[in-house]
Amino acid sequence: MATQHSRAAARLMISPAVILLLGWMLIPLGMTIYFSFLRYNLLMPGTEAWAGFENYSYFLTDPAFFAAIWNTLFLVGGVLLITVVGGILLALLLDQPFWGQGIVRLLVIAPFFVMPTVSALVWKNMFMNPVNGLFAFLADAIGMQPVDFFAEIPLLSIILIVAWGWLPFATLILLTAMQSLDGEQLEASEMDGAGAVSRFFHIVLPHLARAITVVILIQTIFLLSIFAEILVTTNGGPGTATTNLTFLVYAESLLRFDVGTGSAGGVVAVILANIVAIFLMRMIGKNLDA
Amino acid sequence: MARAVSTRRKAAVTALAWTIGILIFFPIFWTILTSFKTEAEAVATPPSLFNFNWTLENYTTVQDRSNYGRHFLNSVVISLGSTFLGLVIAVPAAWAMAFVPGKQTKNVLMWMLSTKMLPPVGVLIPIYLIFRNTGLLDTRVALIIVLTLINLPIIVWMLYTYFREIPGEILEAARMDGATLRYEILYVLTPMALPGIASTFLLNVILAWNEAFWTLNLTAANAAPLTAFIASYSSPEGLFYAKLSAASTMAIAPILILGWFSQKQLVRGLTFGAVK
Amino acid sequence: MTKATRALLGATFLTAMALPAVAQETTLTIATVNNGDMIRMQGLTEDFKEQHPDIALEWVTLEENVLRQRVTQDIATQGGQFDVMTIGNYEVPIWAKQEWLLPLEGMPEGYNTDDILPAIAEALTVDGTLYAAPFYGESAMVMYRTDLAEEAGVEIPDQPTWTDIRNAAEAMTDKENEVYGICLRGKAGWGENMAFLTAMANSYGARWFDMDWAPQFDSEEWNATLTDYLDMMNNYGPPGASSNGFNENLALFQQGKCGIWIDATVAASFVTDEDESTVADSVGFAQFPNKEGVDNRGNWLWSWNLAIPSSTDAPEAAKQFVAWATSQGYTELVAEDEGWAAAPPGTRTSLYENEQYQEAAPFAEMTLNSINAVDTNAPSVQETPYTGAQFVAIPEFQGIGTAVGQQFSAALAGQMDAAQALSGAQTSTQRTMDRAGYGSE
Repeated sequence: MATQHSRAAARLMISPAVILLLGWMLIPLGMTIYFSFLRYNLLMPGTEAWAGFENYSYFLTDPAFFAAIWNTLFLVGGVLLITVVGGILLALLLDQPFWGQGIVRLLVIAPFFVMPTVSALVWKNMFMNPVNGLFAFLADAIGMQPVDFFAEIPLLSIILIVAWGWLPFATLILLTAMQSLDGEQLEASEMDGAGAVSRFFHIVLPHLARAITVVILIQTIFLLSIFAEILVTTNGGPGTATTNLTFLVYAESLLRFDVGTGSAGGVVAVILANIVAIFLMRMIGKNLDA
Repeated sequence: MARAVSTRRKAAVTALAWTIGILIFFPIFWTILTSFKTEAEAVATPPSLFNFNWTLENYTTVQDRSNYGRHFLNSVVISLGSTFLGLVIAVPAAWAMAFVPGKQTKNVLMWMLSTKMLPPVGVLIPIYLIFRNTGLLDTRVALIIVLTLINLPIIVWMLYTYFREIPGEILEAARMDGATLRYEILYVLTPMALPGIASTFLLNVILAWNEAFWTLNLTAANAAPLTAFIASYSSPEGLFYAKLSAASTMAIAPILILGWFSQKQLVRGLTFGAVK
Repeated sequence: MTKATRALLGATFLTAMALPAVAQETTLTIATVNNGDMIRMQGLTEDFKEQHPDIALEWVTLEENVLRQRVTQDIATQGGQFDVMTIGNYEVPIWAKQEWLLPLEGMPEGYNTDDILPAIAEALTVDGTLYAAPFYGESAMVMYRTDLAEEAGVEIPDQPTWTDIRNAAEAMTDKENEVYGICLRGKAGWGENMAFLTAMANSYGARWFDMDWAPQFDSEEWNATLTDYLDMMNNYGPPGASSNGFNENLALFQQGKCGIWIDATVAASFVTDEDESTVADSVGFAQFPNKEGVDNRGNWLWSWNLAIPSSTDAPEAAKQFVAWATSQGYTELVAEDEGWAAAPPGTRTSLYENEQYQEAAPFAEMTLNSINAVDTNAPSVQETPYTGAQFVAIPEFQGIGTAVGQQFSAALAGQMDAAQALSGAQTSTQRTMDRAGYGSE
């Protein structure tokens, strides 16, 4: 039904967004690619020189590089697992009738509004600190050795902090999806004698498939570049236990001020992120067309 | 739902839901509570729940030390400004994608989302140099531009999925009735699209308010929002839990309150096409 | 549209319209650390404004690591966002050589540079010109609980050895009651755990590089340093030590949870402050320990300084401010306002000659001794190709120090043993030095 005319109009309407994003992508990315072929240390101006692929080989042979890839995957995967499973369970719960639904919902969505720096600072100091934190006090109270979170389970601690912030987002989307589920269909299957578990796996979960893919897509976009939580809590350590790709690039370009290597790392991170993106898009594209 | 729910079951669900809700909210509650304690009480063992000497001294200290008003105003201007600008650019784009889809529409959309995966640290130095050369360092304008661009993909995506739910037949029906384009936009489309726009608006204000990388790195004094305000309370010398809690409360309170009050609008459009 | 959204729309336009266009004669943007002394300075600026009504001050107060990254990034790109920067004595010579800092010549009348402690002045001078003015300075020393020592029946001499420290820490430890014999830095960072460990290594006779710039982590001295450090911390240290830096340890000590704490001398005024410290009246001081037979007490020297970036557009006003904040007059102002013990320490000879200060600050003498004991030209008893103190004064050190700090922090967290950490440190340092082209010239 779209006419030639409306197609032209549509193109006109899309173009500002496309042009701006293209500019946003190409200009800094172009500069980053250029820097990545230079020997360029911010602390030693005037010594810039063509370096070929030296920065890349230096970055890729860094022992921290593979650790960073794994950490990135664990971090994204861990948070997704917690928020999706937790989100489904919470959505199931909040979908039931109970007293004070409105207030409980407010309580549950609150973490989404807290800035990452604040939540990391609060968790790190007031909860996970092994001497003054609340968890240490609770452990003591029941006669257990307090857990030294950022030394013993650093990556898991960060996953927990991040997951706390994203759980409300997943819950909200999944809850809305669940509420659109046809009640009659459920009732019919209940009459057929299907148990709660079987109903969940055969009717509820398939119904949520789209919502789950959406949650995964949106969160992955944000989780790939998790940074503030790491900077505030562990600074990537101990060792490289919590260095993800973003943090490694940060360490090169803004702690060592080696802009050349940092840029090479940035380019590598962009390539890897795009691989993940293509993979995700395939998955979600399929799911959304359905 | 027509099913009768036994009171006992309802009571059990209530207890469970409240317990979980309170647990999830607890860190925020604890932060607010700690902000009213003295530094010594904030680290006291055993920690006291309500029976301590309530004090406002942390808020006074924070107020004396930082120009909260200016940080707050910067946060408001930057998050609202970037969201408005983003909507102005994104609404037509999402509109066109949803109602006049072409072969490339989906690809364009996917590409837009993939730009969001650029790690910001990788491009900080280039951006810093660009803003230095244009004299925009430490200005709200710079932050509005950057935050608009980084959130644009999400805005477009969210609006697109919402607009797609609007049945095209309604438009055709209106057109058949001889409605002008102006009428169509004003009285048919706008009312249907508004909930989606409102929800997108809210989500973006939240995202922009909480963005802590660019806002910290591109500002000094004039344009620094609340994220920079918080950075001056992270691990100073000596005991700091109570002051940190007060500053944290001041930084998150505005957005928390906005979020709570507009919760219904936020949720209505927050589906990203997840609900058929 | 809901009422709430409509109200919001209105509010934005209003705020956008109401953006104030501030027109001051001169506005100085000052970047500083969120340390107690700097925060106190912010509170006292009324005095400066009275003297200079035409100069307005804008503060950017940040946590140390964030501040360092922000100012370095700004100065290296000539961003010009700051008019006065708070930087360490590590940065001053490196930045001065790049001509990023304005020389502090032609300071306002009455500004006394001869009064600055010689060790500090030397660290801030390049080719005979002063490039930064010290705001406060510090070395490192031992702070310990006299009450716990007495209870445990141990004594810490004024010039202790590491054996003395270890024995005392063992005797004071009482984990049941959350009293840990020794608190040391463990948080990774060149200015955190590596500041301490470099000083400790100095006092063990170790060095970072030999004369050909080859890293020395495979040496016996470094092995002994790290082994003893881990041994003390694992047995007598607090839990979570691998994330403790200066601030965390200060908080622990103030709460009475540490027997011994070896750290910057500036901490002395905090741990003896009765408002903040629960152990204020029972703190003893001693010099930084050495290993038997090694004539070296760590050589720790740090000062936070005010410097003026060459990208400033208000150099004269900036000089006025730097002069005000680092003058004897400022010290007196603090003393008047909060007592002599709160005066910024470690920068001026006159302060240590002041009887009121000596009386109010029981740690004055030990602080001065510690600072005077430092020789930044010879950080180790072995010959070194570098100058420095608890750091190596080369631009690469931030990166190297932090990478090595991560290894040692991981060792403290129990993720690897000392040997692994040292070999990791050796490899990563070698890598960076090769890349930077040291040793090949």
